[in-house]
Amino acid sequence: MGDTAKKARHHIIVGSGVAGSQAAETLRECEPDARITILTLSSLLFYNRYDLPKVFRGHRDWREYLVYPAAYYRDWKINVRRCSRVAGVDARRRVIALDHKEEIRFDTLLVASGGRGYIPEDLTDFRPLMHGFSSYTEAMSAANEVPKKGHVIMLGGDMIGLDLARTLIDTRHRVTLVAGPNTFWPHEVDDDERPALIAALEKMGIEVLEGADAGGIVSIEEGARGLSARRVVFRDGTELYGDVVMPFFGLSPSVEFMLGSGVDIERGLLVDPALRTTTEGIYAAGDVCQIWSDAERRYRFYYGWKNVRAMGDLAARNITGSSDPWVPAQDEKLHISGDGKIQSPFWEYA
Amino acid sequence: MGEIKPPPEATGAPAAQPSEYLSDDPRDIGWVKQNVPCQTACPAGTNVPVYIREIIERQFGRSYETNREANVLPGVLGRICSRPCEAQCRHGWPGNGEPVAICHLKRVASDLKDAGHRITERLYSPTGKRVAIVGAGPAGVAAAHDLSLLGHDVVIFEREERAGGMLRYGIPEFRLPRSTLDIELHNALRLGVQVRTGVEIGNQDGQMPMSRLQQEFDAVLLATGCMAASPLPLLGEWEKRELRSMEGVEYGLDFLMEMHRGMEKTVGKRVAVVGAGFTALDCARVAARLGAQEVTIHIRTAEEYIPVTPEEIFEAKREGVRIKGLRTPVGLTAEGNRLTGIDFVQNRLGGWRNNGRRQAIPIEGSEFHEPCDTIIIAIGQQTANDYLGTKLELDRWGNVRIGVDGMTSHKGMFAAGDYVSGASTVVQAVGHGRQVAKRIDAWLMGRERRKQVVRIVPVEKPLRERAFDFIVRQHMPTAHMDERMRDGKHEVELGLDEKLAFEEAKRCYLCNLRYQIDVDRCIFCRACIEVAPRNCIKLVSGVEIGEDGAYGKLLETKEWNQVGAIWIDNNECIRCGQCYTACPVQCISISRCELTEVEI
Ligand SMILES: Cc1cc2nc3c(=O)[nH]c(=O)nc-3n(C[C@H](O)[C@H](O)[C@H](O)COP(=O)(O)OP(=O)(O)OC[C@H]3O[C@@H](n4cnc5c(N)ncnc54)[C@H](O)[C@@H]3O)c2cc1C
Ligand code: SF4
Ligand code: SF4
Ligand code: SF4
Repeated sequence: MGDTAKKARHHIIVGSGVAGSQAAETLRECEPDARITILTLSSLLFYNRYDLPKVFRGHRDWREYLVYPAAYYRDWKINVRRCSRVAGVDARRRVIALDHKEEIRFDTLLVASGGRGYIPEDLTDFRPLMHGFSSYTEAMSAANEVPKKGHVIMLGGDMIGLDLARTLIDTRHRVTLVAGPNTFWPHEVDDDERPALIAALEKMGIEVLEGADAGGIVSIEEGARGLSARRVVFRDGTELYGDVVMPFFGLSPSVEFMLGSGVDIERGLLVDPALRTTTEGIYAAGDVCQIWSDAERRYRFYYGWKNVRAMGDLAARNITGSSDPWVPAQDEKLHISGDGKIQSPFWEYA
Repeated sequence: MGEIKPPPEATGAPAAQPSEYLSDDPRDIGWVKQNVPCQTACPAGTNVPVYIREIIERQFGRSYETNREANVLPGVLGRICSRPCEAQCRHGWPGNGEPVAICHLKRVASDLKDAGHRITERLYSPTGKRVAIVGAGPAGVAAAHDLSLLGHDVVIFEREERAGGMLRYGIPEFRLPRSTLDIELHNALRLGVQVRTGVEIGNQDGQMPMSRLQQEFDAVLLATGCMAASPLPLLGEWEKRELRSMEGVEYGLDFLMEMHRGMEKTVGKRVAVVGAGFTALDCARVAARLGAQEVTIHIRTAEEYIPVTPEEIFEAKREGVRIKGLRTPVGLTAEGNRLTGIDFVQNRLGGWRNNGRRQAIPIEGSEFHEPCDTIIIAIGQQTANDYLGTKLELDRWGNVRIGVDGMTSHKGMFAAGDYVSGASTVVQAVGHGRQVAKRIDAWLMGRERRKQVVRIVPVEKPLRERAFDFIVRQHMPTAHMDERMRDGKHEVELGLDEKLAFEEAKRCYLCNLRYQIDVDRCIFCRACIEVAPRNCIKLVSGVEIGEDGAYGKLLETKEWNQVGAIWIDNNECIRCGQCYTACPVQCISISRCELTEVEI
């Protein structure tokens, strides 16, 4: 082994989403000799999750979703280890432990593990009867269950769900939204803005039911034979029948493997404006981190494709010597355009 | 660190003893303490692997009695224990998965034992000595039980109408059904303990002065817990204001105690609970049951540091309770005398405090407001000493100081439980109560009457299968949300049934099994090393001997000419039995080592 190889640092990135993949690219640009490893739970290489609604338009081949061909990773010398679940991080020894008991040493670690669909604790018992939408596999599984012109019951209705709803309506499916406090997440919507936004959803063709008006959901059940596959029952006796029930309550950061690592966590990993966690050599970017905002005097999340990509880029630059602060890359306001349609910066991606 | 000896001399106890024997060799006692981490972590010293093994054998009654030897409230602690043992369980060590559900299995022993189950007690003849105990919480009850078995006449003085302390007046029924509590308290106290409830020790009218107890009894044990709710420190104009008289302000401990004394309690629509311990969680869950529409627990640090079990946090969230972190209340807002909200300051996480808790550091200029109708203040409890009528030496936290003999600065006056440690846990109170009972007995009798030894029992074959190592932790079934909310008392956790219990019990490694290689018979074929699931069998040149005589670090070697022995590292060993089965010359032996007590 030559001298350069000996000195080359090993940067590990957990997560192959927008933040992680962008970080790998910037790291390679800034540090040509470094060893770069991406660990990801996904069985696919980096793919465009924002494009997933297309499965309902008949785009079923996973290759269509890949952002880069496999050769890209070879050319850029980025080692991607798929189907790898990180079990824990030992910050002191600078070692990451994988679920299958392997340990890997790192010089710097970037946690970009994103978030997974949050399911309110009172609905977790019904998880097996719901269809998630946070990966290609989940999207395919939902698409396979919904017949042509089928009926999707959407719970919560965050912006990821409402984006899917746009496609579903366009492809002549029926969508019933059970709205609640997480509707429009991650946008914070005031009580006085909400009626107009709900009306805009109805104008789009979505049937909206305020969950609280019906006393909240008491159960989700499998439909009897010959009926719709799912039944949602509300406390006041209201029932909804549909082909699938899809929860869209926003994301909850994937931090469980960081518990006990010594890195500070509130809901996400707490980072300073330079995306450094409280442990030296460990950074975080994307949906998993809560960034200190000097202006707002609090830790907060920033969502959206542009933000997440900019975070990946910034973290990589700071890992390789800069110490630039985070500047949000996109606007946050939800609004209704002149033609009465909802417009969200969260829906904008390249 | 003591001397370093080369094996095989260091093998200490013979590799294979033909039959059971008792050992008071400090190396054997040290071995158990080091190798059975759950038992060592349990403040009451519960013999966990033995009671779990008895569950596998479906000897539920015997399992319950094994528990009872260390703790007289297995059914209670099987529900609400803070589980320090699980935090140390070998199954939860890195790479081994999740800890064994030790606590849920304790409840199994209690739930599944026969209805007419026979209790065993080791009873001593009467000593003629009289002991007064103040406070019938878990510390007082555990001490009373042990002292009465040891032959002393015990009277408990309790100011509430019923015994149980925080078990009855703090912990809500949906976590601890009173029927379970009543049976176990009755069993603990039925051997002649007199319980005088409704008697408050103190200096006021209608109270019984402490001096009378000192005159009438040979020893007095103070086990009065932490009964005073800590005040909420606010800033500015709120710093000196009396909050109790405000409409919408409750102190968590008083709120629960009043409810459990039978008072009708109500809360507003929006409830804010401030605090991060058992009391805060319980108040929030009670508020949800009393019909609050929005219940939020506000904590200074983060959810990760709330010292209650993750399951409990999860259940609270299922019931609609929200947790918001990194905030400290600095003031309130009110309309007239009615609370309308709380002013907070945003925090960041700081270092660690001496008590092992995380520090929160307020960020200047980050104040914000949240509206609410009720605030429940549950930031801690303190001890009250004014009832004593005499001054005892205190430590710097204001808790009473006791010596190694359990005695306060006042001769013949002992103390135990939360009253000594500050707000802690039930199992700590039970463990401490027993420990101090032993000290009181030694003081009254002028000598120790029992000592600790290790019972070493040869075991014929591995009691586990490798497949057991892949069983995942079994989940506790819980009551449906509608049932929970319909009647605020409905127990949330339903208990493991026999099938789940059996699966869970199989997960336990039975760490009290000691695997040893008889070096004289070993042919160094390495068959055991080949089948070992981990780096548990080592080639060593020697082993360090600790000051207490227990084996310390193994001095590993890869050089064959330096190999003094092939050695099982019991710290790494997960008692899978693979090596035992593989050894062609049967030179691996298994023995069960358990701590027990014998008369001196
Ligand atoms: C709401 C709540 C929930 C909790 N949940 C848990 C849990 O889930 N798990 C856990 O491990 N721990 C829990 N704890 C902590 C646990 O209850 C205590 O650590 C434990 O009860 C302490 O036992 P003790 O015997 O020392 O004192 P206590 O249980 O407080 O008993 C003290 C007794 O002394 C009596 N007394 C006080 N002064 C006098 C006097 N002057 N004269 C006569 N009698 C007097 C009191 O009435 C009381 O009965 C909880 C505590 C609270 C408040
Ligand atoms: S595996 Fe069993 S004996 Fe070992 S620490 Fe855990 S509960 Fe105790
Ligand atoms: S029983 Fe033997 S093979 Fe199994 S873990 Fe222990 S030493 Fe290793
Ligand atoms: S299998 Fe038995 S004989 Fe062979 S090395 Fe192991 S202990 Fe020695």
